[in-house]
Amino acid sequence: MNVLLEILVYGAVQSAVYAMLALGFCLIFGVAGVVNLAHTTFFMIGAYLIYTLTSLANIPLPLGLVCAIFGTGLLGIAVQHFAIKPLIKSEYSVMMITIALAFFCQELVLSVFGPVDRNVKGFIDEKLTVFGLVDIDAQRILTLVVAVLLIVLLWWFINRTKMGNAIMAVAQNREGATFVGINATRIFLVVMFISACLAAVAGAFIAPTVGARPHMWENPLVRCFAVVVLGGLGSLEGTILAALIIGYTEVIVSFTLSSYLSELVILGIFMTVLIVRPSGLLGRRQEA
Amino acid sequence: MSNPMVAAGFWSQTKGLGPYACFLGPLLLVPLFIQSPYVIDLLILCNIYAVFLASWDLLTGYTGQISFGHSLFIGAGAYTAGVLNFYFKVPPTVTIPLGGLVAALLGLALGIPALRLKGPYLALVTFIASAIPAALTAIFWEYSGGEDGLYGIAPLTQSPLLKYYLSVALLVVCCGAMLAIVKSQFGLILLSIREDETASAASGINTSLFKVVTFTTSGFFAGIAGAFYAHNQLHVGTEELSLSLSILIVLMSVAGGMGTITGPIFAGFLLILLNEWLRFIEEFRLLIYTGAVVLILLFIPKGLLPTAKALFKALLARIRRSPQPEAAGEGARSLNRAASKQ
Repeated sequence: MNVLLEILVYGAVQSAVYAMLALGFCLIFGVAGVVNLAHTTFFMIGAYLIYTLTSLANIPLPLGLVCAIFGTGLLGIAVQHFAIKPLIKSEYSVMMITIALAFFCQELVLSVFGPVDRNVKGFIDEKLTVFGLVDIDAQRILTLVVAVLLIVLLWWFINRTKMGNAIMAVAQNREGATFVGINATRIFLVVMFISACLAAVAGAFIAPTVGARPHMWENPLVRCFAVVVLGGLGSLEGTILAALIIGYTEVIVSFTLSSYLSELVILGIFMTVLIVRPSGLLGRRQEA
Repeated sequence: MSNPMVAAGFWSQTKGLGPYACFLGPLLLVPLFIQSPYVIDLLILCNIYAVFLASWDLLTGYTGQISFGHSLFIGAGAYTAGVLNFYFKVPPTVTIPLGGLVAALLGLALGIPALRLKGPYLALVTFIASAIPAALTAIFWEYSGGEDGLYGIAPLTQSPLLKYYLSVALLVVCCGAMLAIVKSQFGLILLSIREDETASAASGINTSLFKVVTFTTSGFFAGIAGAFYAHNQLHVGTEELSLSLSILIVLMSVAGGMGTITGPIFAGFLLILLNEWLRFIEEFRLLIYTGAVVLILLFIPKGLLPTAKALFKALLARIRRSPQPEAAGEGARSLNRAASKQ
């Protein structure tokens, strides 16, 4: 019983982090057709910024958090404007330049902070007991709450605001949207900003529990792909569903078997689904 | 051989081989001038990487099946050679072809499901597929050596000079074979698939067959080079299966010029030597290196070799410019044409 509850709680936290990461990736792909391989680099930069601001510079947490998230968002805008925009016609070139940037950022972080793990000061240092049985860091619960709030906020933003509608219009038909006066290039910048901010939030909130490392972008990138492709590239609902599947699978296999196997099981599920249904679980049935 | 007709016939036979000879000649003569084992080892590494890059280019540059998981094939070749040699003492003459064979089978296994996938999906799937063997080596760490890998694999030969010439032979045979493939009708078909798959299918080409065959061939060459690499390093480890290696291969090939085979080979030599040369500023070496690659991708999107070729042609046209003003216009036009063709 205890194990079941633990799986329930930890799985929710894991899924929430994956959902936050994958939604941003999915959004920029769905709207701009950009496969941003530097997406989890924003996650890493979010973690390092929060480390620098709160643990090194001792800036108060709320201010540091805002700076880290908006800083990463602005970096996202810069990446979109200077690196992706000139190459946006070819999806391959975009993949190449973003992965090159991801490598570059890794080396940058390595030469600034060195290869060692950095411990990040927790936002709340308490431990909580959930359902009377499961002990968990309050930090993880905070991550879960923030993730759920942000996902709801994102849903509201896309479905209920004018900007959100413009974003969806560009996603559905770029030419059509341009005809009615939507500046697609500007929309891409907005979406990249949101996407980078989401990744930075995930990075900043997860950093106190896992630390900040120069290689921390690699594993989440593979998971992020698995989630996004499983859910169907471009489908937001599918992404959330897939994040739940991947997050819970990982936690269940880690708890019952071993964490080495969890990687393999996830990849196995992923390959099977993809071979049976290449467009993903909730993807539009069409050639990608 | 005084008959000009015969000489012309001979030269027309070798036409187009000049640049290859210019490249290969110095490569063969290097040991005469440089005895430093360090430089020789570096050049061996260049030769092996050239095969990695060319085999990636055959798959992605020529057929347009974008692969972000080339370390899958390299690692398969390396681990096949490593495990066979480490546990069963199989000599390199057997392990290297077997490494290629295993990687080719993996190429076949990945190529068939890949038929259903296009564009970014395929890229992401190859990315993730290459993570599977890395997870397997962690699970079977008792046999694979886990993170450390297996040490003490038999060297190819004791003589460094012979090892160098073996690596040159690897380069010539593998890259020569791939160049022959892309220059043949087979290569034309691959290009047609890359440019418009529907149209090539409509003209009666079995595109699925060609795509799977390319996956297998590319895997084969990468596996051979991977096995060679294992015997060269006397070690196999997870770095041969890593994401970083796959990404490095993509970046180097693109920097050199995708879809040319020669471009990635050129970039392999250039970037590996640049990487070594930068060792005097060890701390920032990889930062500068990756920064340079980013700049190349942004500002020379066609790749180094095709751009260099176009510039060279333009320069040649300018030097040869005859007195008539039209010819000068021709030179400028050929520059434009060369630039637009790339």
